[in-house]
Amino acid sequence: MKLKSILVSKILFNTRGIFRILVWILVLGIGIILQTEGVEGRLYIDITSPSMRRISVAIPDFKYLGKKNEHPDLGRELSEIMSNDLDLSGYFKPLDKGSFIERPEAGITRDSIHFKDWSVIGAELLIKGGYECIGQQLKVVIRLFDVFSGKQLYGKRALGIVDESRYLIHRLGNEIIRTLTGDPGPFLTKLAFVGTSTGHKEIYLSDYDGHNLKQITSYNTITLSPRWSPLGERLMYTSFRNSGTVLFMHDVLRESVTKISDRKGLNIAAAWRPNGKELALTLTISGNPDIYLIDTTGKILKRLTKNWGIDVSPTFSPDGKKMAFVSNRSGSPQIYILDLVSSQVERLTFQGNYNTSPAWSKLDRIAFAGSFDHHFDVYTISPDGKDLRRVTQGQSNNENPCWSPDGRYIAFSSNRAGGNYHIFIANANGENQRKVTFSKGEQLSPSWAQYSK
Amino acid sequence: MKRHLAIATMVVFACSSIFLLSSCAKKQVVVEEKEITAPPEEEVVEVEEEELPAEEVAEELAIEVEEEEEEVEREEEVEIERPEEVELAERWEPEAEEEALLDRRAARFEGELIYFDFDKFFIKPEYRAILKEKAEFLKDNPNISVRIEGNCDERGTNEYNIALGERRSTSARNFLVSLGVSSYRIETMSYGEERPLFFGHDEESWSQNRRDDFVIIKE
Repeated sequence: MKLKSILVSKILFNTRGIFRILVWILVLGIGIILQTEGVEGRLYIDITSPSMRRISVAIPDFKYLGKKNEHPDLGRELSEIMSNDLDLSGYFKPLDKGSFIERPEAGITRDSIHFKDWSVIGAELLIKGGYECIGQQLKVVIRLFDVFSGKQLYGKRALGIVDESRYLIHRLGNEIIRTLTGDPGPFLTKLAFVGTSTGHKEIYLSDYDGHNLKQITSYNTITLSPRWSPLGERLMYTSFRNSGTVLFMHDVLRESVTKISDRKGLNIAAAWRPNGKELALTLTISGNPDIYLIDTTGKILKRLTKNWGIDVSPTFSPDGKKMAFVSNRSGSPQIYILDLVSSQVERLTFQGNYNTSPAWSKLDRIAFAGSFDHHFDVYTISPDGKDLRRVTQGQSNNENPCWSPDGRYIAFSSNRAGGNYHIFIANANGENQRKVTFSKGEQLSPSWAQYSK
Repeated sequence: MKRHLAIATMVVFACSSIFLLSSCAKKQVVVEEKEITAPPEEEVVEVEEEELPAEEVAEELAIEVEEEEEEVEREEEVEIERPEEVELAERWEPEAEEEALLDRRAARFEGELIYFDFDKFFIKPEYRAILKEKAEFLKDNPNISVRIEGNCDERGTNEYNIALGERRSTSARNFLVSLGVSSYRIETMSYGEERPLFFGHDEESWSQNRRDDFVIIKE
């Protein structure tokens, strides 16, 4: 013991020792710098890092490239769609157009851009766009530049129609994300949720950013728990009828509705198995709310839980071999995981007295709403019960989380903005929480799927 | 002269209002008779449709419950169904009194709710007497069927709360069955947190929303 401390003090107080330490720090430091530069050279953004700095990007109005401009507002609109996409992605900080100093006659090609005009206002990336319309036809050119090197990182010409310009820009936005992160972007996705604009709870669809809003049910009763099929072409929901709750399947492409389960008692909250062929839902045919596995015609394949308590809100693991659900078998609502192969059930959540609404992501994390201190917040946890992380920070109630199809984003409903619930989206770590629904009434219980256009 | 006229007007007004009031009490008999003749399925549908604008009904109740409970129910029924004076006048007969008693008991059956603790579905001891009275009413009127509707406060997910409400309605049904009421006469239903009577975000409202509603669906 003594010998060791003498040795340490000898090294520390010996000038040669200090010099050696300094040399090592220097070497290590250079190593670290080189390594990060290496990563940035290949991928501008490392989306797997737990927390990241947002890259500032300038997106001036798109320039009209044709002769006679029949859609003069489109230049601003297109840049705003792109700017909103990149902002919502959480990887970028779009700069305020008011700070732009570039002269209006500047073009959209590398040679005609004065990159100093952009670096001086703090832009790291620059997106230049141009468009041309012939009637409803829309041609968009887009170029992504690194402001410091003046290098073009991405360029694309895309064709579409004016009325679907949002779709066109989402597509190009996805490709920009792919260029910078190596991962496909989240912009060609859509939400289903419960809305109360009409005074009744009905099901609504929108793009992931809340645009293209569409009401798809008009039952004038209470309709709840929308759940997209894995491919996003069908939607399950539960609707109240005179007799009780009924499970419906809504084919959004064919616009047809099929009754799947109207057994006596409850038929609530179906979850899709990732194979798209089976569903789990809660029935009370045995006299007690239990979870059953059914096929898409409603036929019961298997009873999955058998317990005196309430079992609800199933969600499947990405491989379909496990199912998380809510049960009050221990006295309060907690999340449990059922192994469908071994039939073993294990409790997942132990903190807090009310944990509910589990949602299992493609990247194998489980989001849920938990009440640890008299209001609900969204948390995520690893399926092995480790690594509990808080996503929302007590802004009133935050409930009903669901994942984006790629598992990198979470949507949830929150009443933080003046009492009514609206839908918010955030990065999986909770950064960059943004409200995406703005209709009157409330918007609740989101489900998120791939665009099936 | 003017004074006489005024008195006369008042007397006429008073008489007519008394007549109107008695008509109100009577008209239920007629309406109920109509319902008997209707096929049972349609009847259920009618009841449902009237109830579905949950907020309106709930708000009405919310205002009135603060006053006398029994009066509330009668007023409600008066508002829903329009009196038809001619038919009423014809039916002012002795058996009406018996039916009026039945009406009062029916109103009590539907008006006296039972309440639950947060996230619980067992019947609290203080509500046993109410359920016993309901069981007696059902045993005295064997042709009546009822629906018990479980409700929850707004906290928690609506999916869990629908299941919890189902358990609350089943608890009350099991209790009535244990007192000798046939189980086939009692339907259960759960609205979860979807039909609150009070809209506050505090225990005062929550405690009133964690309840079983009792609805007579067939006579």
